[in-house]
Amino acid sequence: MSGTATAAGDTVPGPKGGPRTAASGDGARAPRGPRPGRTALFLLAPGALALLFTYAMPLVWVVRMALNEPLDGGAIRQTLTFGTFTQVLRDGHYWKVIGQTLQLGVLVTVFTLLLAYPVALFLARTTSRWRSLLMALAVAPLLISSVARTFGWMAILGNQGLINKTLQALALTDGPLPLANNMTGVVIASVEIYMPFAILAMISGFGRLEPELERAAASLGANRLAVLRRVVLPLTLPGVLTAALLVFVLSLSGYVTPRLIGGGRVFVLATEIYDEAITSLNWPVAAVLSVLLLVLFGIVIVLYQRAQRALERRFTGEKGASR
Amino acid sequence: MAEPTAPAAATPAAGGSPAGHLTLEGLTKTYPGQHGAAVRGIDLSVERGSMLAVLGPSGCGKSTTLRMIAGLVAPTAGRVLVDGRDITGIPVHRRDMGMVFQSYALFPHLDVARNVAFGLEMRKVSRSERARRVAEALDLVRLGHLADRRIAQLSGGQQQRVALARALVVRPTLLLLDEPLSNLDAQLRGEMRDEIRRIQQETGITAVFVTHDQHEALSMADRVAVLAQGRLEQIGTPEDVYERPAGRFVARFVGRANLIEGTVAGADGPRTVVELPGVGRVSALGEPRPAGARAAVLLRPHRIALAPATADGPAAGVPDGSSAAPLRGTVLSAGYSGESLAYRIRVGAAGPVLDVERPAGPEATHAPGTEVLLTWDASAARLVDAAEDDRAGADSAPGAADAVPAAAAPHGVTP
Amino acid sequence: MNTHPAGRILRAVLLTLLYLFLLAPIIVVFVESFDDSTYLRFPPEGFTLDAYRQVFANADFRSGIQVSAVTAAVTTLLALVTGVPAALALTRLRFRGRDAVESAFLSPLLVPHIVLGLALLVLFAPIPLTDTYWGLILAHLGVTVPYVVRTVSAALAGADPRAEEAARTLGAGRFTVLRRVTLPAALPGLVSGAIIAFLLSFDETVISLFVSGQSTRPLPVAVLQYVEYRSDPSIAALSVCLVLLSVAAVVVVERSLGLRRSLRS
Repeated sequence: MSGTATAAGDTVPGPKGGPRTAASGDGARAPRGPRPGRTALFLLAPGALALLFTYAMPLVWVVRMALNEPLDGGAIRQTLTFGTFTQVLRDGHYWKVIGQTLQLGVLVTVFTLLLAYPVALFLARTTSRWRSLLMALAVAPLLISSVARTFGWMAILGNQGLINKTLQALALTDGPLPLANNMTGVVIASVEIYMPFAILAMISGFGRLEPELERAAASLGANRLAVLRRVVLPLTLPGVLTAALLVFVLSLSGYVTPRLIGGGRVFVLATEIYDEAITSLNWPVAAVLSVLLLVLFGIVIVLYQRAQRALERRFTGEKGASR
Repeated sequence: MAEPTAPAAATPAAGGSPAGHLTLEGLTKTYPGQHGAAVRGIDLSVERGSMLAVLGPSGCGKSTTLRMIAGLVAPTAGRVLVDGRDITGIPVHRRDMGMVFQSYALFPHLDVARNVAFGLEMRKVSRSERARRVAEALDLVRLGHLADRRIAQLSGGQQQRVALARALVVRPTLLLLDEPLSNLDAQLRGEMRDEIRRIQQETGITAVFVTHDQHEALSMADRVAVLAQGRLEQIGTPEDVYERPAGRFVARFVGRANLIEGTVAGADGPRTVVELPGVGRVSALGEPRPAGARAAVLLRPHRIALAPATADGPAAGVPDGSSAAPLRGTVLSAGYSGESLAYRIRVGAAGPVLDVERPAGPEATHAPGTEVLLTWDASAARLVDAAEDDRAGADSAPGAADAVPAAAAPHGVTP
Repeated sequence: MNTHPAGRILRAVLLTLLYLFLLAPIIVVFVESFDDSTYLRFPPEGFTLDAYRQVFANADFRSGIQVSAVTAAVTTLLALVTGVPAALALTRLRFRGRDAVESAFLSPLLVPHIVLGLALLVLFAPIPLTDTYWGLILAHLGVTVPYVVRTVSAALAGADPRAEEAARTLGAGRFTVLRRVTLPAALPGLVSGAIIAFLLSFDETVISLFVSGQSTRPLPVAVLQYVEYRSDPSIAALSVCLVLLSVAAVVVVERSLGLRRSLRS
């Protein structure tokens, strides 16, 4: 029994929220209180109802829609068939769209991680008194309308935009560089739009990074590059992994940037879903594409969890990974 | 959320129990899905105006007991009585208990005065009366000048005082304190210990406080209740608990102890003579036991005196049966801690290893390897029960783990 | 760590460039909004506030602001009414399946808006709830409730439940404890949750594209459709207004809870 032990361990697992009625043992007249199960039900019901109608039911409905058959002119035949799935999967156009979606996702993820990492590392380590301001600047774009930010990128990347105007004024190029209405522009704008997400996710995952560790490595004779490669990078990997998942998933399903910067020439799953549903009024195909996107999400998340578990094992040294 | 409309009918205290201010009868708490009971049939009574310390290691059920008194946890069985009236069925907010939490549990969104006034507001005390009593309570805890501070601006000690004032201002029936000092640093802890004791005595309130620190329990309380694994091991004055422990657990948990296992050899007047392997016969005070029974002798480290062994000294292991039993031993190690010297001494050639604590300074120190004589006052040796899983002699074998003090407190303990 | 002066300068330059990239569209939009030409160009050649006047002269934008504001306000209210009790249950009560319920409440965050938008269209069209205020509000509710649950849960988890017990011992009943202790202590989380819900709903584009229509076109949809065919400084001016709205909100959130805690993924 050491003098520093606290009584924290003294509290026994039990209801957190005040007294609960005791088992009806004789003589024990307990202070009355509502049963936690019933109270929980009462408190959870409004939120559960809201999510049932605005989230769970729509998802069931869209999966059901994918099993219908589209007819000409936006009509739908109520049936239960995988016909629409096979129709979509046999069509080379949709495979091209899926390929472009994945290409965009990979490119955006790689560049976002490369650019976000130095900022996140700096914010996690700095002791500057400007830290909170720099932090706010780095993540504030999150709360700014993505339409507004995409518009900003149109003003930068367009043929009459900042970059091309400058290059032409300096007589460095003859014609405008093709920075908008193509994949390049979509990637550039998407990277900027997802950077705050990546920075946040990275900083949250940098918990294992302690300045002492870097100093210890340096004191053991590691030069700066070796410290970065052997100490900082492995310790920050979990944060990078989370950021990668987040950015990849977001860019797989992004709609506004591909539509505006892509100028109708970049086809990804999101734009295709919208066009099928709203322009072609082909809901079953749009629903099939949605289900495919969800499946893609599922695969990515499973892969992420595998990678996370592998990382976890490296830190804990346990064979059977936790969670 | 229906609450009982009328307080439970007054029930006279059970026949045998002393008519204390607070009485617990067979108080038991079992959590569903958990092996064994957290609190097992506690019976105790606290006199009006006195302070009871509930002492025990982590997980012994002491906090659960306090929370059952407060009404925050419903007992599975048993009763809580105040002035002989059964309050077991009264919900927490009608119990009129002042409680101080380990984390202070102050309201972060209210300033000091509003925190203290909270209980008075609940009791619909008029505004002017409220202001007067808040000021009074803050003066009592010497925080009158900080009434309009925000909680976040206070130090730990100040927060503790606010928590005390908040609990006391409603003039509760009982003051309950859950580990009130454990979040404070060592110096503040001493200060607050005196402060809580002063306030309790000034207000004359009946108080129960829970602690895992035997030093706190012995120095603050009128009576100490020692809990282990949900059971009440002993209740008595600090001196009772320290000098006359009811059992092995209490002997080892409260203060440091040498426990030497042996067999009862016979009686010697009020004393019992115990044969200790490797030591010899030692007489000890305590409940008499039949000859041949297993028993242990408790010797507090600071009650053993040391003298350099001379060639013509008494032979080791010869009990004189009356006042002192000079034993011969070899110093294994000596640790200096400023105020005292902590020795580890092997008795005889292959006897148990004893802890001995001597004040540093006036006495000659004994270097490791030297021979010493061990003596103690007749009242120092106490008879307690033997270890439960008693394999004959195993416990008292040379270097037995049992002779190592159970509570290796950094400070010497003197009740 | 970085003691070498050259390394320091290099690092400072790199960080400045990265921040510049991060803030580039906002800076450009801000400068652009004061341009006096009628088409998009950079750098601007004159200074005028005409663009701001045009924003409020445009009927589509005016009604868009109204639709978005009403939708966001009602959505926020409903998200609080449904999300706060859920957060209370998840942080203050023990019940079977608590973890599963929590995951279920946060799971809408994992579903892409493009899918949810289509899904809501499929469900709402036959009712019909499309192109109505209630359709928009319900559509936004699904994606805002999880944020409210998360922010308020974080605030409640950070508050000491012992303070609630202390209030009980001082004579407060359950409802009084909720009103006088639990909710005030979680107020920063409530404020942040409300602001985030409002901004999310106000800025929501993709889901709105599916469920809105001619009579209820929220601002982001109006802007998106405008930008597709025309680009002039009035969009920049409108964007600046949106940025200022967000910045004001960010300041309030940062003050009351800390941005990182509210947005942590």
